[in-house]
Amino acid sequence: MKRTSLLWLAINSLALASLAVASLTITTVARAATRPHYGGVLRLAIAGPVSSLDPADASNVSGQTAIQHIAPLLFNTLTTLDDRGEAQPSLALAWKSDFSSQHWEFQLRPGIAFSDGTPLTANAVAASLRVANPRWNISPAGDSVIIESDSAARELPAELALSRNSVVLREGGKLIGTGPFTLAQWEPGKNLALSAREDYWARRPFVDSVEIAIGRSPRDQMLSLELGRLDGVELAAEQASGTVAGGRVVNSAPDELLTIVFSRDAHSPEDRRLRQALGLAIDRSLLNTVVLHSSGEPAGGLLPNWMTGYEFLFSTSPDSQRARQIHEGINQSSAWNLGYDQTDPSARVIAERIALNAQDAGINIKPNPAASPDAQLVRIRLVSRDAHVALNHLAISLQLPAPDPHRASSQSTSSQSLSTADLYAAENALLQTERAIPLLHLRTAVALARNVHGWSEAQDGRWDLPNVWLSAEKPSTEKP
Amino acid sequence: MTFRRKLLVIFALTVFISVATVAVIVSILARRAFEKADDERTAALVAQFQHEFTRRGEEISARVAAIAASDAATRISYAFSRKERDYAPFLGEARTIADNQQLDFLEFVDGQGTIISSAQWPAKFGYPDASLPLGQLPQSAFLKKEDLPDGEALGLFSVRKIDAGEGHDGENHIYVVGGRRMDKEFISGLELPAGMRAMFYENFKSGFSPQSLIDPSGTPQDPQKIADFVQQVLAEKQESTTLVHWTSNPAEDETLHAIPLRDLDNRIAGLLLVGSSRRQYVELRQQIRSATLFAGGAGLLLAILLSGWAAARVTRPVEQLAQAAREVALGNWDTRVNVHSSGEIAELADSFNHMTHELLEQREHLVRVERIAAWKELARRLAHELKNPLFPLQLTVENLVRARQQTPEQFDEIFHESSTTLLAEIANLKAIISRFSEFSRMPQPQFHSLQINDLVRDVVKLVQAQLQGPGRSTIECSVQLADTGEMAGDPELLHRVLSNLVLNAMDAMPQGGRLTLLTHAQENTVSVEVQDTGMGLSPEECDRLFTPYYTSKGHGTGLGLAIVQSIVSDHGGSVSVRSEPAHGTTFTVVLPRNLDKLQPGGEERNDGQVEV
Repeated sequence: MKRTSLLWLAINSLALASLAVASLTITTVARAATRPHYGGVLRLAIAGPVSSLDPADASNVSGQTAIQHIAPLLFNTLTTLDDRGEAQPSLALAWKSDFSSQHWEFQLRPGIAFSDGTPLTANAVAASLRVANPRWNISPAGDSVIIESDSAARELPAELALSRNSVVLREGGKLIGTGPFTLAQWEPGKNLALSAREDYWARRPFVDSVEIAIGRSPRDQMLSLELGRLDGVELAAEQASGTVAGGRVVNSAPDELLTIVFSRDAHSPEDRRLRQALGLAIDRSLLNTVVLHSSGEPAGGLLPNWMTGYEFLFSTSPDSQRARQIHEGINQSSAWNLGYDQTDPSARVIAERIALNAQDAGINIKPNPAASPDAQLVRIRLVSRDAHVALNHLAISLQLPAPDPHRASSQSTSSQSLSTADLYAAENALLQTERAIPLLHLRTAVALARNVHGWSEAQDGRWDLPNVWLSAEKPSTEKP
Repeated sequence: MTFRRKLLVIFALTVFISVATVAVIVSILARRAFEKADDERTAALVAQFQHEFTRRGEEISARVAAIAASDAATRISYAFSRKERDYAPFLGEARTIADNQQLDFLEFVDGQGTIISSAQWPAKFGYPDASLPLGQLPQSAFLKKEDLPDGEALGLFSVRKIDAGEGHDGENHIYVVGGRRMDKEFISGLELPAGMRAMFYENFKSGFSPQSLIDPSGTPQDPQKIADFVQQVLAEKQESTTLVHWTSNPAEDETLHAIPLRDLDNRIAGLLLVGSSRRQYVELRQQIRSATLFAGGAGLLLAILLSGWAAARVTRPVEQLAQAAREVALGNWDTRVNVHSSGEIAELADSFNHMTHELLEQREHLVRVERIAAWKELARRLAHELKNPLFPLQLTVENLVRARQQTPEQFDEIFHESSTTLLAEIANLKAIISRFSEFSRMPQPQFHSLQINDLVRDVVKLVQAQLQGPGRSTIECSVQLADTGEMAGDPELLHRVLSNLVLNAMDAMPQGGRLTLLTHAQENTVSVEVQDTGMGLSPEECDRLFTPYYTSKGHGTGLGLAIVQSIVSDHGGSVSVRSEPAHGTTFTVVLPRNLDKLQPGGEERNDGQVEV
C-alpha cells in the first residue's frame, strides 16, 4: 500500500469519525430539546376579568371561565373527569353511594397537605364543600366525607369535579389549596403569580412559576405574544382558526354555547311560534363561517355533539321561507330588543346578522346593548365534560327550568347512571320551553409560543399547566 | 295753559319728533343694511357649502379611487371572481380600509349588487345593496340615503368599478362604494361667520322628524318651530327663507334659509338650513332704541331747561309785573318792578313803574285834597253848628241892650229871660264841642260776654216810645232774632252802634214806615241788619256815608255813622250799607264772636293779655 493511500485512508477515517461524533452530538441536543425539563416562568394572559380567586364565589359570573383555568392550579377537587367525562380519583381515592344515590361517602387520599402545610382532613373538605353547596348535608366521618342530598344525585362524583367544588382552606380571607401551585402574588383583576409546589402530592410542575396577566385586550395579548413577552394567550372564539407568527394555536372541542336567551317564558302560543320562526330564520352556518371564522359549529341543541352524540338530531339549517310563513300565520307583531355584550367584538355583528335574518322572515329585532332586552345574546361555557352536569349548569345559567331526566325517561332507575336517552329527553324538554335558541358551539383556543411544550389539547380546553414545560428555543428577558 | 308750559310742550315736541324721526330712519337703514349683509353672508355660506360639498365629493372620489386601485380591492375582486365565495376573510376588511381612508361608509359589492364587505354594517354581507346605482355609475360624488343597523343616514358617496377579468360566470367585476356621512362633523367643517350656523335635515320620513335635524351647535330648543317651514320647502322643492322665533326673546330669532339637496334620483335627500342669528340686528336695534330714548330723554330734559330758561327770560318780568299789579290792587301803590331786560318787557315795566308813581302822586294829591276838604267840611260844620247857637246869643244880647235903652222897666224881666236863653245856648255850644271832643276820644272796647239779641231788644225798648210818639208818623218795628249764641263785645259801645243805626233809620222815615231788625248767626260771626223803608240813598251818598262830619240830614254832626264804623272796626267787624233810592236802606253789621278775647272768668282785656 502506498503511503499516499494510507494517508488517504487515515483522512477518510478521521472524517468519518468526526461525522459520527457530530451526528451523536446533534442527536443528543435534539433529544434534550424535546424532553421535558424543570424550570422557567410560564407567562400567560387571559382576557376575562377575574376579581376573586375563590372558585365558590358565585358573584364572579364574568370571570367563571378564567376561574376554571386558574382554580385547578391552586386547588384540587375530590374527583376529576377524564376525556370521556368519567369521574376519576383526585383528593378522593374512592367513593360509594347507597341505592337511592342520595347518600355518598368519599374516602380521602391520605398524606395530602395544603400549601401552608395544614394536613387535608375530612373536616376541612366538608367545610369547603358546604360553602359551595349549602343545600347538601356534608359531614366528616374519619378519613371520609359523607354527602347527603334531598334527591338522587347520581352524577355527584362528576359534579364534585367542578371547579366550584374545589377544596379550599379559607383562613382570614386567604384561600389555601392543595393544588400544584401556591399563590405568590395577586392583584385582583390585573396580575396573578403562582409558584410551583415542591411538595405537591402528585408531581411537581415542570415550570417554577406561572405569571398570568388578566383583563388585557386580545390585541395587546397577541402583540405581546408575537413580541415574545408572553408564552401563551387565551384567544377569542373568532381567533381560534387563525395562526400565530412563531407559535401555534391549540383549539378545544366546542365547549362554549352561543345562544339567544329570552328574558321570560313565551306568554302565548303565538309567542312560542314566533320564537320558533326566529330559530328557523337564523343562518347559523354563515354566522360560524363568516363572523366567527369557523371557530365553532352550528348548534341546534344546548350540548355539543362530541358530548352527547345526538346533537345532529336538532336541525340547524335555516329556513327563512318557513320562518316567514310562521310569522305571517301569527297575528302578532314582534319588536324585540336583542341585548349583547358590548365588550365582545363579535357580539354586535352576530346580533346585527340575527336581526337581518329575522327581518327576512318579517320579524323585527333591534340589537341594542343599552336597552332592557327582551332577549340576550350570551356565551356560556360548559362547566363539565359530564353531559348531565353540563346540562344542569346550562339550565341554571340560562335560568331555564331545572332538567328532570327522571321524569323525562322511565328507563333508568335512581341507582343507575342516566342514559343518553334520558339526557336527550331532558335537553329536548328544555328546548321545548323556547326560552333559548342555540346558535353555535364555540371552541376555546390558546395561542402558544414555540417554546411551550406539553400543553394538553383537552376537549374542554382545560389548562393542564403542571405538565407544561418550557424549552430554551426562544430566549426572552422582557416581562409581560 | 301757562306760557311756560306752552314753551315746554313746543320744545319737547320738537325734540321728540326730531329724535324719533332720526331713530326711525336709522332703524330702517340698519335693518336694510343687516338684511343685505345677511343675504350676502347666506349666499357666501351657501357657496362655501357647495364648494365644500364639491371638494369633499372630490376627496371622497379620490379616496374611493385609491381603494379601488389597492391590493385589497384586487384581492377581493379576485376572490369573488371564483365560484366559491367566502365572505369570512373580508368581514372586517371594509371597516379597516374605511378607517384607513377616513371614510364613514365603505362597501365592496359584487356585480350583482350583493354586499361582500361593509364597513357601516358588517353583518350585511351577502345581502343586496338596493340603493346602489349599478346601471349608470355617476362620475362625481352624489347624495345617497344609507341604511344602517340603528336607522338611516345620509352620505356623500362615490362609486368605482373594478374589473376582475374573466370569471366563472363571464365578465366579472366588483364595486367600491365609499362615502362620508352628512353629520355634525361634516357640517362643522364649514367655516361659519359669527352669528351664523348651518344645520342639516335628513329627509327620510314623511312629515317632520326632530331626530332628522342635525345641528352641530346642539339640538335646537324647539325643533317643531321649523316643522312647518321644512315641510313647506320639501313640498315646494325650492329654496326658501323664513324668520324663526325660537323663544319670546327677539334676540333669539333667526333667519333660516333652506336649500334642498337632491340625490341621484332627483329626490330631495335633505335640506341645508343656514341660520343667521338676528341677535346683532336686535342688539343694534336695541342700541338705537336706547340711544333714541337717551337722546329723547336728554332732549326732553334740555327742552325743560330751555323752556324754563326761555320762559324765565320772557315770563319772569311779566310775572313780576302781574305780582306788582296784584300788590297795587292790594293798595301797595309804591310797588316797583325791577326788570333787567330790554325791549317790550322793559318798556312795559317802565310804564308800570311810571303808572304806580303817578298813582302815588295822585293819591297823595287826593289825600291832600280830601284832607283840605275835610278841614273845610269840619270848618263848615263847626261854623254851622256854632253859628246856630251864636245867632240866638247875638239876638238875646241885642235884645238886652235894646231893653236897657228902650224899656228899662222891662229890663229885669227881659234880662231874666235873656240870661236863661244865653245859658241854654251856651250849654248847647258846650254840648256841640263835647260831641266833637267825644269823637276824637273814642274809648277802646271792653270785651264782655253778651247776647247780641239782648242788645237789640234793649235798643228797641228804648226807642219804642219814639216810634209812635205824638207829632210824628207811626213807624212799625219788627224784630227777627236768630239764635246767635254767645259773643264777646263791649255792650255799651255796641248799644251805641245799634242806637245810632236805629235812630238813623227812624230819621230816614219821617213819613213813617217799617223798621226791621234782624240778627243772624254764622259759625264765627254774628250779624245784625237794620232795615228801613225810607227814601233810600244814592250810590254817592252810600260811598260817603261813613265819612266823618258828613250827613245827609238837615241836622246832625255827621259823626254818628263814623262812630258806628269806628266801634265796629274796634271789634274787628265790618259795617256795610246797601240802599236804593225810594226802596229804603239796610245797614249790616258783622261782628266776630271774639270769644278768644274773653278772660277765663268771662272778662278779657282788649289787648289780649291774660290777667292772672
